Formats: sequence, structure tokens, C-alpha cells
Amino acid sequence: MATASRLGSRIDAGLLVGCVVLSLIVIALPADNREPIATALRRSVVAPLVGLQQGAERWRTAWVSSERRQLVVDSLSLRAVRAQALQLENDQLRKVIGLGSRLDWGFVPAEALHSTAPSEDVVTTLTLTAGSTAGIAQYSPVVAAEGLVGTIYKADPTMSIALLYTHPDFRASAMSGDGSAFGIVYPHPARATGADAYMLELRGVTTRVILKPGTLIFTSGLGGTFPRGISVGTVVEQIKTNEVWTRTYLLRPAVTPSRVTSVLVLTAQRVTQGTGNIWGAVVNGDSASRRIAAAGDSLARRAALLEAQARQATLDSVRKATIDSVRRSLGAPPMPVSAADSAAARRGQTPGAQPAPVVRDTGAQARRPSTAPGGAATVKRDSARPRRDSIRPDSTKKTPHS
Amino acid sequence: MNWTGAARTIVVCAILIVLQYTLRPLLAWRASIDFMVVALLLGSVRLRPGSAAVYGFLLGLVADSLAVSGFGTAALGMSIVGFSASWLKAVFFADNLALNGFFLFLAKWLFDLIFLLVSHRSSGAELAMQLFVWSPLSAAVTAVAGVLALSVLKPLLELRTS
Repeated sequence: MATASRLGSRIDAGLLVGCVVLSLIVIALPADNREPIATALRRSVVAPLVGLQQGAERWRTAWVSSERRQLVVDSLSLRAVRAQALQLENDQLRKVIGLGSRLDWGFVPAEALHSTAPSEDVVTTLTLTAGSTAGIAQYSPVVAAEGLVGTIYKADPTMSIALLYTHPDFRASAMSGDGSAFGIVYPHPARATGADAYMLELRGVTTRVILKPGTLIFTSGLGGTFPRGISVGTVVEQIKTNEVWTRTYLLRPAVTPSRVTSVLVLTAQRVTQGTGNIWGAVVNGDSASRRIAAAGDSLARRAALLEAQARQATLDSVRKATIDSVRRSLGAPPMPVSAADSAAARRGQTPGAQPAPVVRDTGAQARRPSTAPGGAATVKRDSARPRRDSIRPDSTKKTPHS
Repeated sequence: MNWTGAARTIVVCAILIVLQYTLRPLLAWRASIDFMVVALLLGSVRLRPGSAAVYGFLLGLVADSLAVSGFGTAALGMSIVGFSASWLKAVFFADNLALNGFFLFLAKWLFDLIFLLVSHRSSGAELAMQLFVWSPLSAAVTAVAGVLALSVLKPLLELRTS
């Protein structure tokens, strides 16, 4: 038994030694001699394993390439989403820059950080990255390129909190674009979803005024918080209320708060001096037309004054010619006329007298000029078109002779 | 070992060898599972040391034939590991999964040690890194995979020799 065991151990040791020696011989063989053995093995015994390995490698390659392709697709999708966001932000920044260049002065640019709690459905406040050190004060108007955003609720030195028009406490005095209707803008309490999530109400509009859908609404400037002419929104429809003497309209706001990323805060001085025709308010166009009409009136007044002066000079000439002819007929020498007198006469004044007040007169009176010599004669002026046919051209042409 | 046991062992070893050339390339881990070592140990513990050495030598030649260089190195390493596994099995008579896992770890590490030292593929810090970082990691992964394989294939395989 022990002999057999010893023999077995010797056989085991011999096999081990044989395997080790063979291995060392194979290792020590030159590469040219080793390769035929390896090739023979690969083409015979190991051939199925080679096929399995090739298949596994192919699967691995397909898997990796699929993962890479998916990564590329994901990256492209991510870039597309980012590009959309960047384009949106870029558009907003361009608009804000455009608004800033139109405002020119009296504003503080700020970045809007959406700090609304996740539990809230709508954005009601914004945190702005500029504060009182930049000139922002409480109740300063917050505007965007599209129009009114809200007002400053609290101004810290380096940041401030803006109360948006969606906040229940927000109010603004507003008017229609043509200035025919005035009211107070409130946030619309009935919240919807999608594009109608943020709506406003224009309350207190007098009954006699009916606003059509699409009418532009601007801040009226009453109350002093918001300057006149900031775009608030457009009329959607009239809301049925219990009010009898006033109407309430539903407004679609010009600004969507959830998309606001950059705003401008107007300073107090700018609020006082107004913003002008920044948001294209019709009311500003109306004021411009009023200014044009006023300018036209002043021109008309100036033209009338010149016309009156010319008419007075003509009348003076006629008067002097009549006096001279009478004196000549009586044998008296003609009246000497000094240069000062003629100048005064051209101005419609007598020497040493105050300017004569201009009094509107009828055409008949204008045709009977005063003949009182010297003194502060009252000059009567016809407001109607002068009737040139009432004056003989030859008499007016002969006056310089006298 | 009777014929049924031998047939079962052959089937399990064949499965493990197939896994070596299918699952391993698919996973392509840096510290990869060596199913050949698992198959070597699984067969060696059921053979006499001398037979285990021959078995290891043949498995090593198969592995070497598919390697780019170092033909014969794996044969040498697996011969020694197979002989050692069979001899240690006879000494310790281990029959639990944890001890088998430990043997798998040691076997794989010993094989890598022999393979790296004989093949002269690396030297210096790289050799040390390979020996003391990647080889232990690979040995650990192989041990875990071997224990799992033994657990799964237990119905098919009797671990102890009769």
C-alpha cells in the first residue's frame, strides 16, 4: 500500500516535472518554431474557441459602438436643448439691450433669479442681482423689453426682491392705448395652465367705454409708481361682474414671468421724468400729434400776426394818402413823415405809444379803418381772410411816394 | 471518481472554458475573471496531482495558442497551479465555498505571478503594479465568480471526490 502510494507520488512528481520541463522547452523555443505549434492548435482543438471569441469580440464591438452612438445622440440632443435655451436667453438679452439703448438713462440692469418655491404654481416673485447700492429702491418699476414685469418689494444692498404682476398684492393704474379708458390692473385670480397661466384684469373702466379685444393697455402714470406708457398687455375679453357702472376686462400680459431672465429697474428720477415712447404707446403718438398741432397753431398765430402787421401798414398808408389828398385840396402842405414814424407805422405803432392790442373784428369793420391821426389808436384785426379787393392796388403802390 | 462524476466535471469545465472565450471578451474588465483557472481548480481537485499537472499543462497550451506571445508560459503556470491545487486538496480536504474561494484567489494569484515573471512582459514598477494591484484584483474577481459558478452548478457537480 505504502509502496503504491510512494509510486503514485513519484509518478505525480514525474508528471509535474515533465510538464514543467515541456513548458520550459516550449518557452525556450525560437519564435519560428513555436508559431507552427500554436497555429496547429488554433486550427484544430482551439478552433471552436477561436470562433466563440471572435463572436464575443464582435458583440462587444457592436455594444461599444452602440453605446458610443447613443452617447453621440444624447450629446447632440443635450446640445440642441441647450442651444434652444441659449437662443431664448440671447433673444431676451438682445431685447433688453435694445430697451436699455432706447431708455438711455435712469435704469439699473439686473439678472432675474427665479426663487419661487416649488410648491407655488406660478411665479410671483423674482430675486434680482442688483440692490440699493446700484440705485434700486422700494416700489421701483421693473420692466422687460416686452413691458411691465412688476415692482420692487424689498431692496437689499446687493440684491432685491421684485413683486411680479402675478402676485395677489400687485396693482397698477392703466389706460388704453388711445387714452380713452382708464382702470386698475389686478392679477387674474382664476389660474389656468399653459399660455393662459398668467392673466390680468383691468377693473374700473367706465361703462361708456368699450374696449375691443386686442386693444393695447399701458400704464397711465397715475399714482406715481409707474411712469406713463409701459406696456401692460392686450385686452382679451370683457369679464362679467356684478359691477354696474364699471367694466372689467381680461388682459393677456405682455411679459411671461417664467421666461424673464434679465430685467431693467427704473430709477425714481426716470419714473418722474417718464419713459417716452419706449413701448410704442399710442398715447405717446397722441401726445406727439398734440405737439404737432400745437406747433401748427403757433405757426398760424405767427402768420396771422405778420398778416395783421402788413394789413396795418397798408391801412396806415391809405390813411396818410387820404389825409394828404385832403390837405392838398385845402392848399395846405402835406404832412412830413419821419423815418421813425414810418417804421412805427410798419410795426403798427405810433411813436412813443404802447403796442396796440390786437382785437378780433368783423370784415366790415376791417374795411373801415380808423382814421384818427397819431395816438394809441386801437388796431382792429380781421381774423378772417383779408379781402384784398377792398384795397385799391394803385393807392397802396402810391403811398411810398407820399 | 466514477464515470458520471467525471462526465459532469468535464461538462462543467467545458462550460467554464466556453465562458472564458465568450463572457470574458464581452465584459472586457481591466481586472478580468479567469474562468480557465476556475476550470483548472475544479478539475484538479478531482484528479491526482500528476494528472492535475497534465490537465493544467493542456489547458495552458490552449490558452497560449490564443495569446499573442509567451507561448508555453500559461502551460507552465497552470501545471504548477493544478498540481498544487490537487495536492492542497488532499492536504486540507476543504469542502466549503469560502475555502474554495480562497483557493481560487491563491491559485489565480500564483498563476499570474508565474506568468508575469516567466513571460518578462513587464518589469520594475509596472510589474509591481501588476503583481500587487491588478493581479490581486483579478484574483478576487475570479474567486467571487468561481464561488458563484460553483453555487450555480452545484446540482450538476459534486464538489467532493467520492
